[in-house]
Amino acid sequence: MPSVAPASPLTAARGQLPYLAMVAPLVVFVVLTVILPVALFLFRAVDNRELQANLAATSAALSGWTAEQGLPPEPAFAALVRDLAAAQAAGHAGTLAARLNQAVPGSRTFILKTARLAAEGALTGPDVRSAVLAAAKGWQNPALWSVIAQERGRFTAFYLLTSLDLQRHPDGSIGAVPAEQALFLSILWRTIAISLSVTAICALLALPVAHVIVAAPRWAAAGLLALVLLPLWTSLLVRTVAWIILLQGEGPINSTLQGLGLITEPLRLVYTRGSLVVTMVQVLLPLMILPIVSVLRRIPPTYMRAARSLGAPWWTAWRRVQLPMLLPGLLTGSGIVFVFALGYYITPTLIGGPGDQMLSSFIVFYTDKTLNWGLAAALSVQLLAVLALAAGAVAAVRALASRRVA
Amino acid sequence: MRLSRLLCTIALAGAASGAQAEGTVTIVGWGGSWNDVYKIGVTDPFTAQTGTAVTLDEWDGSLAKIRAMNESGSVSYDVVSVEAPQLDIGCDEGLFEKLPEAVAAEADNYLPGTFHPCGIASDTWATVLVYDAAKLADGPKSWADFWDVEKFPGKRGMLGQAMYTLENALLADGVPPAEVYNVLRTPEGVDRAFAKLDEIKPNVVWWTSSSTAVQNLDAGEVVMTDMYNGRITFENENNGKNYGIAWEAGFFYGTDMWALVANAPNADAGRAFLEFFALPENQAGFPRLYGYGTGDKRVYDLLTPEQRDRLPTSPSRIGFGAPYDSAFWAENQESLEQRFKTWQSQ
Repeated sequence: MPSVAPASPLTAARGQLPYLAMVAPLVVFVVLTVILPVALFLFRAVDNRELQANLAATSAALSGWTAEQGLPPEPAFAALVRDLAAAQAAGHAGTLAARLNQAVPGSRTFILKTARLAAEGALTGPDVRSAVLAAAKGWQNPALWSVIAQERGRFTAFYLLTSLDLQRHPDGSIGAVPAEQALFLSILWRTIAISLSVTAICALLALPVAHVIVAAPRWAAAGLLALVLLPLWTSLLVRTVAWIILLQGEGPINSTLQGLGLITEPLRLVYTRGSLVVTMVQVLLPLMILPIVSVLRRIPPTYMRAARSLGAPWWTAWRRVQLPMLLPGLLTGSGIVFVFALGYYITPTLIGGPGDQMLSSFIVFYTDKTLNWGLAAALSVQLLAVLALAAGAVAAVRALASRRVA
Repeated sequence: MRLSRLLCTIALAGAASGAQAEGTVTIVGWGGSWNDVYKIGVTDPFTAQTGTAVTLDEWDGSLAKIRAMNESGSVSYDVVSVEAPQLDIGCDEGLFEKLPEAVAAEADNYLPGTFHPCGIASDTWATVLVYDAAKLADGPKSWADFWDVEKFPGKRGMLGQAMYTLENALLADGVPPAEVYNVLRTPEGVDRAFAKLDEIKPNVVWWTSSSTAVQNLDAGEVVMTDMYNGRITFENENNGKNYGIAWEAGFFYGTDMWALVANAPNADAGRAFLEFFALPENQAGFPRLYGYGTGDKRVYDLLTPEQRDRLPTSPSRIGFGAPYDSAFWAENQESLEQRFKTWQSQ
């Protein structure tokens, strides 16, 4: 385009300055409002400040102690009482008890009680150990002491281990959690599987629709695009409840099938993996169609005709000529759909079955309900890792494809 | 009758709105009709009496929001209605202030579970056994009936979480409401609840939003369900439904609590609101208009029999129920929900 910009007298580097100045506010904005807060939140996945800051004396008194020796000796109890009294005075007893309760469920109440008594000076005397155990017998649990002895550093692996269904045993070894508590890995695989199948179905459905839109006359294409975008403009709740009504036992689909005599008992359609995938595909499909349409519009139809006239069957011509050229659109669409699908949580809770809940709903639970931001951050790290892998996969496919074309 | 009372309150509030406004306070409730009723029944009279303008906001009960406000030093809420287990967690963490002394002194007048050093009940609600009386003339009478798929064939709707569901399983296993948490506090008791849930698992349609649960009951997808009592009263009074509540089957009642947020910008006005609400005649402004109760026992003497009849915590009902144990859930919610979700997807 030689007529657009006259040759600049500035050097290339200086010529870029105005552009840098133009994007600088955006970069600053993104760093301040997205990258920094996300990094600060993710840091909580390894942050151990509650234990490190509040139980320093106790963990020091426990050096050399291991769980096999039974209950820790008197100095450890005395240090515990001092630590808890200080935490109570500083107003940190609540967060400390919550943190220990995450590791040893059911310990929150008696730890708070011990801290209160410690601050009141009620746990003194020659035998602090007996006084503490008499006030709160939960301290007889060696698992609790093991946590305090092990988690003495600035950082902890506790949340990352938990998010991988792993735990640290009192002897320091790392192993699997009991089967009844093993949850997060299966949720992670399920989240990936649902997102991948939604992406694949969207791609399969979007390709023919995109071809029709591109081939249609201008007015018809505009109408088709509006139809494609309609689900995006509908409220999530309305859309989901509409699917529930459509798919339920006495809903139109089941009654039609029964009326036609195809089935005798209503099919179980709603609250299944299938109903979840259908609902997700419906709303994410436009995000796949739009990038494919925009790429397809730039491919001259003569290419396909040329390939066909040279004797290639339609399928071969499409696969060898059309597909490599629309691959960028397909990859962009797949990336967007996959990323959006990964973060879904309201739709799965509304229309999925009990085995279809996705990772984000657990992140919300730990963030909002129990204030366990460490575990929420660890689960977010998993989601980010999946995103990074997906981005890597898209880049690899792109590189591979461009090499083959070249 | 309800309407005339509403109009009367509105007229009173209107007459008093000429009073000189003295400061403002931001009060945060659960939104929708809950906020509408609180405005007419409680916060408008508060403004009329004190001259303090009330901004009635709404939220989703996310404790994360309060913690984030406090960590960033920009608290914008004064008084919030928060679920009892979250109040327990937040109070220990210092996210909420202790009650003003005048309010704390009233502790003995409150129903079990409706008073906390950091808050008093803004509303009491219950998870009850509900069936469609239009379809089941002779409905279930107990949670054992809920479990009995031979006597009452069909699917059951159940809330898809451990909290409130393990309790119902133990009720079905014959544990009296008052004993349920003693059982749940032992590992064997938790196993017992899950074993009972195993029995009914193939016949359950799990729900997470009360809208879909009511829709399932309406469509006959389920023959009975557990549900919040206020939602059922609303459906019967406004949508012409005939849903039955088996109060006598036993139930647990929960509370949302008014609490003053730590470092609130209008803390004094917030305290004034709590002191105002702690007076029974002011507190009655809410249950007069709604299917949810409040904490002070003396409030129920100020209600008509029809008003009392809707409430889980009225004197004739409360004998069938027991309060949810927020301290139990504050320390066991994570591990039990984790086990429940694992169990659910097996």
